[in-house]
Amino acid sequence: MTLKTNSRRPVKGPTPGLWARYRAYLSRTGLSPSASNYFSIGVAIAGVGLTLGPIIYLVLGGFKDLHQYAMNPSGLPDPFLFRNYWGILSTGLFWRQMLNSAFIAIVTTVGVVILGTMAAYPLARYKFKGREVLYGVFVAGLMFPLTVAILPLYLMIHSWGLVGNPFGVILPQIAFALPVTIIIMRPFVAALPKELEEAAFIDGVTRIGYFWRILLPLARPGMVTVGVLAFIGSWNSYLLPLLILAGDPAHMTLPLGVTAFKGQHGSDNTAIMAFTSLSMVPALIFFIFMERRIVEGLTGAVKG
Amino acid sequence: MTFTTASGKGNGPVVGAKASAAGPRPGSPKNKQPGNASARKWAEIGLFVGPALLVFLVFVVYPVISAVRYSFYKWNGVKQFSEAEFVGLDNYRRALFGQGIFKKAYTEPFLTALSHNFEIIALSMAIQLPLALLVALILNRQFRGRTVVRVIIFAPYVLSEVITGVMWFVILDPNGIATRIVEALGLHSPAGGWFEDVHWGFWTMFFVVSWKYLGLAIILFLAGLSGVSKELQEAAAIDGASWWQIQRRINIPLIGPTIRIWAFLSIIGSIQLFDMVWVLNRGGTQGQYSTVASYMMDKGFYRSDWGYGSAIAVIMFLISLVVAIGYMLVILRRDNSTTAKN
Amino acid sequence: MANKKRVIALTALAASAAMLLASCTSNDTSASTSASAAPVTLTWWHNAIAGADGKNLTGDYWQKVADDYTALHPNVTFKIEQIETNDLQRTRIPAALQSGDAPDIFQAWGGGEMVQQVNAGYLMDLTDKIPAAIKELGSSAAGWSVAGKQYGMPYTFGIEGIWYHKSLFDKAGITGTPKTMDELNADVTKLKAAGVTPIAVGASDKWPAAHWWYNFALRSCSTDVIQASNTAFDFSDPCFVAAGKDLQAFIDTKPFQDQYLSSKAQQDPTSAAGLVGTGKAAMELMGHWELGQYEGFQADDAAKATLDADMGWFNFPATSSGAGDPTAVLGGGDGFACYKDAPAECADFLAYLTSVDVQKGFAAIPGNLPVNPGAADQIASPQLKQLADVRASAGYVQLWLDTYYGTNVGGAMNDGIVALFGGTGTPQGIVDGMTAAAATQ
Repeated sequence: MTLKTNSRRPVKGPTPGLWARYRAYLSRTGLSPSASNYFSIGVAIAGVGLTLGPIIYLVLGGFKDLHQYAMNPSGLPDPFLFRNYWGILSTGLFWRQMLNSAFIAIVTTVGVVILGTMAAYPLARYKFKGREVLYGVFVAGLMFPLTVAILPLYLMIHSWGLVGNPFGVILPQIAFALPVTIIIMRPFVAALPKELEEAAFIDGVTRIGYFWRILLPLARPGMVTVGVLAFIGSWNSYLLPLLILAGDPAHMTLPLGVTAFKGQHGSDNTAIMAFTSLSMVPALIFFIFMERRIVEGLTGAVKG
Repeated sequence: MTFTTASGKGNGPVVGAKASAAGPRPGSPKNKQPGNASARKWAEIGLFVGPALLVFLVFVVYPVISAVRYSFYKWNGVKQFSEAEFVGLDNYRRALFGQGIFKKAYTEPFLTALSHNFEIIALSMAIQLPLALLVALILNRQFRGRTVVRVIIFAPYVLSEVITGVMWFVILDPNGIATRIVEALGLHSPAGGWFEDVHWGFWTMFFVVSWKYLGLAIILFLAGLSGVSKELQEAAAIDGASWWQIQRRINIPLIGPTIRIWAFLSIIGSIQLFDMVWVLNRGGTQGQYSTVASYMMDKGFYRSDWGYGSAIAVIMFLISLVVAIGYMLVILRRDNSTTAKN
Repeated sequence: MANKKRVIALTALAASAAMLLASCTSNDTSASTSASAAPVTLTWWHNAIAGADGKNLTGDYWQKVADDYTALHPNVTFKIEQIETNDLQRTRIPAALQSGDAPDIFQAWGGGEMVQQVNAGYLMDLTDKIPAAIKELGSSAAGWSVAGKQYGMPYTFGIEGIWYHKSLFDKAGITGTPKTMDELNADVTKLKAAGVTPIAVGASDKWPAAHWWYNFALRSCSTDVIQASNTAFDFSDPCFVAAGKDLQAFIDTKPFQDQYLSSKAQQDPTSAAGLVGTGKAAMELMGHWELGQYEGFQADDAAKATLDADMGWFNFPATSSGAGDPTAVLGGGDGFACYKDAPAECADFLAYLTSVDVQKGFAAIPGNLPVNPGAADQIASPQLKQLADVRASAGYVQLWLDTYYGTNVGGAMNDGIVALFGGTGTPQGIVDGMTAAAATQ
């Protein structure tokens, strides 16, 4: 994120000596690291509690049966029943829907990142007539949510025979994720040192060669960030898969699977809680794994 | 999202209109290439931008133009569009200036939904922003488990709206755990239930939305803070500044661009807020937490009133556009001029 | 179990053979083409849920019906999709019809929506294709006809009334079931005094609350007014506002559970069905399917049996004034329609699906109420038997009003009624909303 002020000067990591002196200062002024840390930890615990509380409640609910839930909705399961979770995990459908979500999200992400970065390069570095208009067209896409265009979109995808096909979801998702990708990537590409480009051209590298061999590796932090955003967007999307993939549960993505499961097991709230809990797991694992990449991408962008 | 970074040329994100209005940028070389090089340049541009542009035109622009076209027709979405009746601006009139029974049935609920969008924007700025900033400032230090805490706080952002909605429905059920806790404290839960009470429903929805999106703001601010020069903070500290003075004079101003871009995203997101509201009960039985997008879906498409729904969509687009351009011109422009000074 | 399935298959085979004969003798040409050998695949979208754990549910049964039909007509195969009701009705079917590539057989709820589909020219006219099968269903098929032509075939049609716990009535000292609103009000008072929630309503889903108004309207408005109202969409007759006033007066007696605006119709234990199913509330106005919902909240078969014995059912009480027929009932059902370009086999299949023996198999599934009078003897549940009798003897059977008026006016009506329940609407507001919606369609 941002911070242009610093980006002109290369910012090195905090010098240990300086940082230590800063901490020493904090303790001198009474804001000793330990005292203020307790306060920070207090806030952290409150934040964690508010975030995790509802999720834990949902997970625990999945270990109850309906009778337990009706009698004792707020307490711990007694006994813990694994029936709900096992019932979902032992049928192939949950896994199948997870794979569908993963396939669609991965292909969408790759498509968005490649197309978006490609488009961002000339928009950032070429001087040509109509460049800002072109950029403006992409940016305007940000103002138009998918809900607005859903029926014409469906009719078009249907006429191409892509209903029930993952690519019927992937292509529009790429298109709708392009604005934010280009908005992020354009200044990112523009921030890469111009000298590098000039040096490359002097060495006889073509623009295209420069793009593939030099720009893409350098732009990786930004690409990771937009990629993660696109992945999350795709993984969570609901309306488009609802229209394109509903019908056969084997074609569904996980959010659809949750609603379909909710419909099928209407009165079995604890099974719904179990299914919902399980469908959180892949997103959370992906997130725990990628969170560092996001922050790396963000800080990388700052240091650009 | 973000990344104004640093081109240092006044080319912030999302400012296309402004940049072009300002004419060629200083230092941009005039077209010096000879003719065939120019053709080559255009070919390269086509190669790079072409695929994205094609996908964008086919899957975004064309459907959106179709929606604009629908907005001038009376169309029930069942018969073919070619048989729909052209009604000019009737759909817009019904949404904005309905009279008599139309005022009560269409205009008032629409304006209520619209006001909810703006209330969410105002509340985000008044509640989410200070809260997220405060948490970010407090967490912006080394302590054990910091990474874990950050991961957990950010986690709701990656959960889908469907899952979040189902989860909160279970918790805020009339006899659910939230009601029990509140009643154990000797208080009363809202008379109509958390989501459906006419007075409380909106606040409950805002709470759930905040639960999901507060983590994003915190993480964005933390990332911004991690880039603030430690030397500056240290220098201020040596000059005798207190913790709060350091935050107020150095950290907050320096992450100003991050905050402003978060605000921009939050405003656009608030205007388009849909999934969450829809998954919780379609804006509420009495529209108590409806938004323009949920109104569009509920009163337009779910009532086979596609022309009307499309008109609402266009109005929503125009509002987003005006707000976005206004925000960019007034607020983000400052960032660019500040950069120029640096 | 396997034996039972075979028996059903055999009877189904016999039935369809009989029908083929019947339709041949009635000079029906489509039936003979259906016997031709050209391979045909029928796509079929329905909303019936199949049992995940070997439960014998309607979704499983449709698969079996399709398989049986293929056995009889080896040239006909099926491609079946089960789709959740809301998705199916609001998005999948309209979009598919728009695109010109719709499934051959799809769910049809009759009423105003079907009128729109017929006006747009999407549906196959079944009138002359399967006349015998249509005739067999009797008056129940009327909801799936438009301007005297049959465009769909219902397979279930139920009516609604008030389900109640006999034991809770006993506890409150109530004898007999209320015949008039005054009696109902008195019973509500008694139940409250006994510490029992009198009535559960799932107002969060809108329609369960709206059905209260439908019933008041049916008592308040004459049959003629109701019948004319879905063509002229004229709601100026004061009886419509009067229905809202009756409802308002009833809501003011506070007969419903706490936080009823937040309760769903079904699903969780705090839904209206859950409150009645777990014995926390005494009554609920709901369709015939609700007994199965209540059963879902019982821990085991013994509890189910106890519940079945405890649940009673009575028709919506008569009001003290109003031009409506006091024996009129509201009802609705599910059916299927054929797309205009569907193969001729589609119509024949619908005739097969609603034939006596297939309907008997349908009725054998707990909670199902068949539409074919010939299958009525298969209904095991005494409550459903009672419902079938009331349906047969009702002075007038009105389709659910939201279905009847179609999505636009119906949606406006339901919104207005829920606003009345929530305290932000008025009796006049309901009617105004309907009138406004009608003017825009």
